[in-house]
Amino acid sequence: MSQDTISMPAGSNDPIIEARNVNVTYDLENQDAMVLDDVDVDLRREEVLGVVGESGSGKSMLANSMMDAVQQPGITTGEIRYHPEPDADPIHVLELSDEELRSLRWEEISMVFQGALSSFNPTLTIGGHFEETLEAHGYDVEEGMERARQLLSDLYLEPDRVLESYSHELSGGMSQRALIALSLVLEPKVLLMDEPTGALDLLMQRSILSLLEDLKEKYDLTLLFITHDLPLVAGMADRLAILYAFELVEVGPSEQLVRNSEHPYTRALLRAVPNLDAPLETMQPIGGTAPNPAHVPQGCHYAPRCPLSTEECHTDDPPWFEVAEDQRSACFHHDEAAEAVPFDVTETALAEMAGEEGPDSDGWSFASDEDVVMSLEDVSVHFDQNEGLVSSMFGESQPVRAVDDVSLDIRENDVVALVGESGCGKTTLGKTVIGVQRPTHGSVSYRGQDVWDAKDGRGDLDIPHSEIRRALQIIHQDPGAALNPNKKVLTSLEAPLKKWEPDMSIEDRRARIFGLLDRVGMQPPQDYAHRFPHQLSGGEQQRVALVRALLMNPDVILADEAVSALDVSLRVETMDLLLELQQEFNTSFVFISHTLSNARYLAEKADGRIGIMYLGEIVEIGPPEEVLGNPQHPYTKVLRWATADLDPSAQEIEEPPVRSIDIPDPVDPPAGCRFHTRCPEAREVCTRAAPDLGNDESTPQVRAAACHRTEEDHAYWDSKPLPEEQPMVAEADD
Amino acid sequence: MNYVLKRLGQAVLTVLVVVSFSFALIRLLPGGPMDYLRAKIIEQGGSDLSQEAINMRIEAQTGITTDEPIYVQYVDYMTGLLQGDFGQSVWFGDPVAEIIGPAIPWTVFLTGTALFLGFLVGISLGAFMAYKEGSRFDVGATGVGLFLNSTPNYVVALLGLTFLGYQLELFPTGGRYASELTVGFNLPFLLSVLHHGALPILSMAIVAFGGWALNMRGNSIRILGEDFLRVARLRGLSTRRIAIRYVARNAILPMYTGLMIAIGTAFGGAIIIENIFAYPGVGFYMIQSINSRDYPLMMGAFILITVAMVIGITIADLTYGWIDPRARGGGSRESY
Amino acid sequence: MNPTDDRASVDAEDAGSDGAVKDPLVDAVGGADVRPADARKRSAITGHDRHGQAVTDGGEAVSQFEQTAEFTMSKGERRRQWLEEKLLAPARIVWSDWRARTGLLVVSFYLLMGIVGPHVVAAPSPNQGRRLLGAFRSLEHPFGTTASGVDLLSQTVHATPAMLLMLASGAVFSVVLGTAIGTTSGYKGGRFDSIAMTINDMAMTIPGLPLTIVLASVLQIEGHPIVIGILITINAWAGLARAIRSQVLTLRESEYVEASRIMGISTPKIVLGDIVPNLMPYITMNFVQQARMVIFGSVGLYFLGVLPYTSTNWGVMMDAAVHRAGATSSLLAIHWLLVPMFTVIALAFGLTLLAQGADRIFNPRVRARHAETIEGEGEGGDGDPGDGTSTTDAMEKNAGGTTTGGI
Repeated sequence: MSQDTISMPAGSNDPIIEARNVNVTYDLENQDAMVLDDVDVDLRREEVLGVVGESGSGKSMLANSMMDAVQQPGITTGEIRYHPEPDADPIHVLELSDEELRSLRWEEISMVFQGALSSFNPTLTIGGHFEETLEAHGYDVEEGMERARQLLSDLYLEPDRVLESYSHELSGGMSQRALIALSLVLEPKVLLMDEPTGALDLLMQRSILSLLEDLKEKYDLTLLFITHDLPLVAGMADRLAILYAFELVEVGPSEQLVRNSEHPYTRALLRAVPNLDAPLETMQPIGGTAPNPAHVPQGCHYAPRCPLSTEECHTDDPPWFEVAEDQRSACFHHDEAAEAVPFDVTETALAEMAGEEGPDSDGWSFASDEDVVMSLEDVSVHFDQNEGLVSSMFGESQPVRAVDDVSLDIRENDVVALVGESGCGKTTLGKTVIGVQRPTHGSVSYRGQDVWDAKDGRGDLDIPHSEIRRALQIIHQDPGAALNPNKKVLTSLEAPLKKWEPDMSIEDRRARIFGLLDRVGMQPPQDYAHRFPHQLSGGEQQRVALVRALLMNPDVILADEAVSALDVSLRVETMDLLLELQQEFNTSFVFISHTLSNARYLAEKADGRIGIMYLGEIVEIGPPEEVLGNPQHPYTKVLRWATADLDPSAQEIEEPPVRSIDIPDPVDPPAGCRFHTRCPEAREVCTRAAPDLGNDESTPQVRAAACHRTEEDHAYWDSKPLPEEQPMVAEADD
Repeated sequence: MNYVLKRLGQAVLTVLVVVSFSFALIRLLPGGPMDYLRAKIIEQGGSDLSQEAINMRIEAQTGITTDEPIYVQYVDYMTGLLQGDFGQSVWFGDPVAEIIGPAIPWTVFLTGTALFLGFLVGISLGAFMAYKEGSRFDVGATGVGLFLNSTPNYVVALLGLTFLGYQLELFPTGGRYASELTVGFNLPFLLSVLHHGALPILSMAIVAFGGWALNMRGNSIRILGEDFLRVARLRGLSTRRIAIRYVARNAILPMYTGLMIAIGTAFGGAIIIENIFAYPGVGFYMIQSINSRDYPLMMGAFILITVAMVIGITIADLTYGWIDPRARGGGSRESY
Repeated sequence: MNPTDDRASVDAEDAGSDGAVKDPLVDAVGGADVRPADARKRSAITGHDRHGQAVTDGGEAVSQFEQTAEFTMSKGERRRQWLEEKLLAPARIVWSDWRARTGLLVVSFYLLMGIVGPHVVAAPSPNQGRRLLGAFRSLEHPFGTTASGVDLLSQTVHATPAMLLMLASGAVFSVVLGTAIGTTSGYKGGRFDSIAMTINDMAMTIPGLPLTIVLASVLQIEGHPIVIGILITINAWAGLARAIRSQVLTLRESEYVEASRIMGISTPKIVLGDIVPNLMPYITMNFVQQARMVIFGSVGLYFLGVLPYTSTNWGVMMDAAVHRAGATSSLLAIHWLLVPMFTVIALAFGLTLLAQGADRIFNPRVRARHAETIEGEGEGGDGDPGDGTSTTDAMEKNAGGTTTGGI
């Protein structure tokens, strides 16, 4: 052992929770599954500790074990010491009786889960949850509810409305915030957060993070923040702990860790995360897959995927090495890590890219009209809220305006990434592009043939509808749901061929399928072909869906959040595969994403465009370098803000640059510019006049933003700023 | 509000359809009830009755004037029903309404109590089974539940009648109450009603609770695995509150539709039970009417059973939104 | 669709030569006119191989995606696999569950009784034995005799074929009708749906047995078992249709159904291929439940004497026991009552048990486990790879990646 190994961080400064040798095991059908392996970590008083790991790395187990809440039949061993006060005797959490645990949980240590919607009793009001919690712990209900209201308004919610609602009546972001308030109602000292923002939009994630910072200051909280999203937490956390395959691999101050990690996994993870700053070439997937809990490798768990691994790594558990002040790494070869897995966060400089690279001279901007595969003209999609005989007789039902007056051309080999918050209509627009969603107004045409005329058999048809149907395909967001659970992969893949190539022999069909499966890296294909979808991993399911779409030989593929359900380390790999196949098959992609970084990766790599959507409209569109490097629309700037930079020093979590963090109801979108209710730059004229997505003068047809501010002599500049009417719920202490 | 109107409209429409249907059955079927009644009247009254006299007799019995055009007959029949005129029983000679009317509350009493009892015992048992999932009690109770679910209620009724009624003489073997008692709100009468109703009610309830228990067990186990239950436990809520407010409530709600269907089955099932125990409810009269080919009485009973059931189901349906907050605001959105 | 018809079939073996990765450009020549004029340009790049013509000009150019075609199956192998998948695996699944196994045995016994029984057991006739002989008193008449000396065993056995026919017809009628209405209504939606559901809701609120009684009495039907079976389930389809419709509403929005739709698969194919298989557990359960309901209803109504019948059956036996021999009031004839009762309960219990276990046949997870024997090589060792994932999933449910939908 080298000299700088350490047994355990010596009496680290004022820990509030100390975890020592914590193991969580499951005894499953005669085989032990280890889901947390000998973890030592301290949570320091009033710090934010970010725990980062991919799904299935055991990070939730770590949080659960800290309040002895690991679910049956999991067994937690080791030691968890909780220090209520700096000098008081520690409480040994794992040895507490049920009654003692009951008063420890929520009163001292509280927890926020990921799925807020499923964390509330669907048949009890939110207020009821607060009351019963206060009652159960013998708190004064009236006083407690006062505190609850305060917490809710701290989280920019309307207390009265929220308390009276049921969880299904709140949006995801609202119920997540309500859950945070619920976890704080008994004034705990420690808040354990298990992916508290995982299912939310970026903007909401960042907004919640900034609210958490405030709450932490205001209530002197200690936070344990668990996430798979390293950049998200890097800016907020004081320290980071990286988990890989059930064991801790590196712990250290977050900035130091991001800049000078000495563990190959941390470095690989940093590289694998799509982000807005780093040059594309630096983003590299991590090869291999994480181990199954029942088959954890000997020695260092990362050794099978590690470029540095030696014999030693495969046999011995690496000890902790103090690699820098307060930073420890569990790697025998920690001093070689930087060299073997190069990654430099300071390389990240996006701003320079804009301008320097103009629109491609040979790109689509000069392409002739013949190149246009899909053309959308003034397309609107409105949904009636309720249908049915009676309600249409009685009701003045207000339509949801999912897409409003959008024009868009998709060319050969084009990649268009649509980005926006959930509910902005990006999926509806995408489905309109591929001729699945019938527009209420406007026209959708495929190579000059109106798609819906073809479908209805109206007029002279240049291209039959079946041809169009075949040319426009989809890859869904959730790979698990996109495959029929009752059909084997082979059967699912044979369906399109049977339909479109009915004369093909069985052998040909299978050969084709096996060939493609092989091409997307599912080897041996015969084996995969005979599996049911549940026998595939998420990434493999997504590949099957991709193969299915490609078998149709499409011109345009709509990839609806096709990578967001995948693990971080798989995303870059999958996007690369998408792009390779796009080149090979000459297909155009419409890529829908709620994260800018994924959109940027795809659009930039394929020389495509990024379109920013807000409440059914495209507010800005253009090459990624420009849209992201020099955003014109305030909403793009907001999204830009919401996307965490990798470089921790570059990001200070400040107040969200919007006037309201919740999206207005799409049933009744604001008049004038739809963004004016949230826009930090909005002036009086914006409430009346809606800006056009006109062509930007400098780059015709390429770059456009729908904002009055892009026009130099617009009335906007003479208009009065909007009054500060406190659109967000007022901070109660002022 | 829309939903309430729609639901009420549906209920009225159902009754209307059933009534029209029964009109059609009586009037339009060749060789059907009308011809039979005519033959019967002639047989009873001899051949000396004039055609008109026969028609009048038929009109009194069925509410249908045979010599009018069919739509007039239909309108007459409907208005007659609206005024509570269900015709006259051939067998008893009394107006059908006077026979069936008083019988309805008894049928409702039997089925309602049985339904309630079976449901209550079933869900309590089911919840307990879920709580003890995998235990010997759970396995045993599941077996018993499956077995009871496979037993028709009339089998229980017949066995009860044989052993508890005739052999042990613990319960009366027929009637609604002891005939010597004064009807009203007095203790002996009420006790007698319970005593007479006990076997019919029990035989319906016993076979029903097995199904409810299994259903409740499955739902509860599902709820026990929900995230919100875990959060509730971590929040330190009392076991009692979790059991009632969290598990029970969320497990019972999905069974509401089943309960509605059970109302229908219960009314149907009561027919057999009432006959086994010679319990003069609607079903008892219905079978009487069939054995004596008393069509007016039969159709009256059928219409009234349907009305009672439509009311029951409509009430259940309308209260559902009140019980389940998620159902408020009406149906789901549908497209295509 | 593709206008070129030179869909040369790839000889699988031929394509199998491993290095056969050809430049896609080679294929392009033959594929030039697969698209309307404006599309030609791009098909010149890859149009061809994507169109499923691996070989176009003379059968030698092979797409790069055809490299692994060594996999051929003989007819025999394929038949064996079909047998394995469709029959043996389900059978194994049923057999592995004690409830389903018991249920299957009971139901098979009744089937045997219905098919073979009447040929083995003598037809019932008066004075076969001593009058009102109790059960288990003699080997000759194990179940005893009726008041007129008819052997109860032979009555029970000879009633079986008609009862089975009845419950099969009732279950088939209501399940087929309910499934058809429910799926069409749910999948198509619109006007058909609202009309169908209005009728459906009405049918649901009409009490079933009274309706059966009224119809049976007014229509003067013959007592053919198939007719009676249908009559008893006359409105039972309604509840099933409603339940199926609501499931179809969810399923039709599912992503894989949408994918099929986008691939241009026809609606009937989608319904049969993507929707109905996922309803099968539910449909099976209901089939058995309806069958049980037919037994309960028919025996009950025969007992009341309101259904016409052509030959004796279990309900008529009970009727006779009670009303002719006073089986309820005196214990002398109780066996006459108990024998048909037991027969009914045992069959219903068997059906219930079968339903409890049979839905597992349609669970792909269970099916995959039981199909291992034939294709397990790839998965050997650590067993079902899916299970590994699912345990991880279960253990760290909350740790999944971000999932945020669009609209």
